[in-house]
Amino acid sequence: MAELQKDPITRSDFLGLGVIGAVMGTILTIPPVAFVLTPLIKTEVEGESDVLRTWERVDHVANIPEGEPVSYVIEFPIRQTYGDDRIQEESGVSQQEFTVRNGVWVSWRDGQPPEVLGGIGEGDEVSRDQIEELTQHLNVMNSTCAHLGCPVRWVAEVEELLCPCHGGLYDINGEHIGGPPPRDLYRYTFEIREDGFIYITHEFDGDPYIV
Amino acid sequence: MIGRVKAQTVETGKLLADWIEDRTGAVSMMEKFLYEPVPKRGAWLYTLGSATLFLIVLQFLTGILLLFYYVPTVDHAWNSVYYIMNEAYFGQLIRGIHYWSANFLMAVIGLHMARTFFSGAYKAPRELNWVVGVVLFLLVIVLAFTGYLLRWDQDGFWASVVGIKIGSYSPFIGGYVVNFLIGGDVIGPATLSRFFAIHVWLLPAILAPLIGVHLYLLRRHGEFGSEFEYTERLAKLKERQRLEEYERRYGLGEEEEERRE
Repeated sequence: MAELQKDPITRSDFLGLGVIGAVMGTILTIPPVAFVLTPLIKTEVEGESDVLRTWERVDHVANIPEGEPVSYVIEFPIRQTYGDDRIQEESGVSQQEFTVRNGVWVSWRDGQPPEVLGGIGEGDEVSRDQIEELTQHLNVMNSTCAHLGCPVRWVAEVEELLCPCHGGLYDINGEHIGGPPPRDLYRYTFEIREDGFIYITHEFDGDPYIV
Repeated sequence: MIGRVKAQTVETGKLLADWIEDRTGAVSMMEKFLYEPVPKRGAWLYTLGSATLFLIVLQFLTGILLLFYYVPTVDHAWNSVYYIMNEAYFGQLIRGIHYWSANFLMAVIGLHMARTFFSGAYKAPRELNWVVGVVLFLLVIVLAFTGYLLRWDQDGFWASVVGIKIGSYSPFIGGYVVNFLIGGDVIGPATLSRFFAIHVWLLPAILAPLIGVHLYLLRRHGEFGSEFEYTERLAKLKERQRLEEYERRYGLGEEEEERRE
């Protein structure tokens, strides 16, 4: 202690150093941290998404089979580090070239198509009532397991969706029936339009984090 | 004739060494780092640390070489790895060494830690070296994890998806962790850039100085076991170093030198 007192620091010196230190620290820390955390701030605070809110066409309802789900790969255009539309256009790089590929399982509830489907073929106009009926019976699910994100596959012998990584099990409606997943498969926001086709957008009934 | 040339060469060498020693102290530093008493019993087990260091150096060297061709963008990453493997001369060898020494590194680090643990070498005064070693181990694990994605093939991609999604289960900050790692809310170009930056710049930059600290602490306290098992050898070594120091400072008498020759 005695040695420390040889070079005493006054109260105002101490305060001054503290204030300068805090200011310098802030100036030096904020830019690099904010720089690195940009995507986090944009998605979590500002609520922006890298995936453009487009509606992508999946298939015609008449092609969804009875008793088993059918899988599709749908690509959503993404905007990530390559800038907004204007920049993309000026640089000659189209945003549509950068996509995220989603595996999608589509099935009828419990494998049973609704009766209204019988009269609908491709090219037919679908009425509002029919759309409502069809929508209620359709499952449009993301293929990544709700546990750790591996893609699930349909095992016909046991009629279940199985995750190859840790054995998560789902039934034909994507409802969790066994294994480690904490919930059902994530469902897309979808709509059936008057042309009878299913359209989906990159929006789920929960936050799957990575899809 | 040959004897004279030899003597002259030795003389010149000594002059050069002295010149460098005077200005940098490099020679005595080299001696300090090279002479180290090692316990005789289980001597091979004490090479595991050197083996780890050797493999990490291999990682640095082959990693630098791979950077000459690797392109960290989603549309070229896989192709550039394909080019390295199939068209660049010795590409398979260079990448093979990077890949296999990374795998062996994990195993050798495990053995190194086991040796340290079972011989009790983490005890006082070496606790901090154990702590630094554990940090190094964690850094190597993250290096292995981030390197996996850079291949941008199905294997590395899905392993990374699973790995990142494990992070989503962290309490309270799960979503933030994921968004930070993948650089947005979807795996894409930013994810690859991030993993590349972490794998190639951030982690090696932290790793290298920490290895220096690890080695410094090792040299400060010596190999475990040397101080109580080998006090005699240690004393002899100290005596010899003292003599050499004396010799270098004051030189030997003419007669002494002649007598030695």
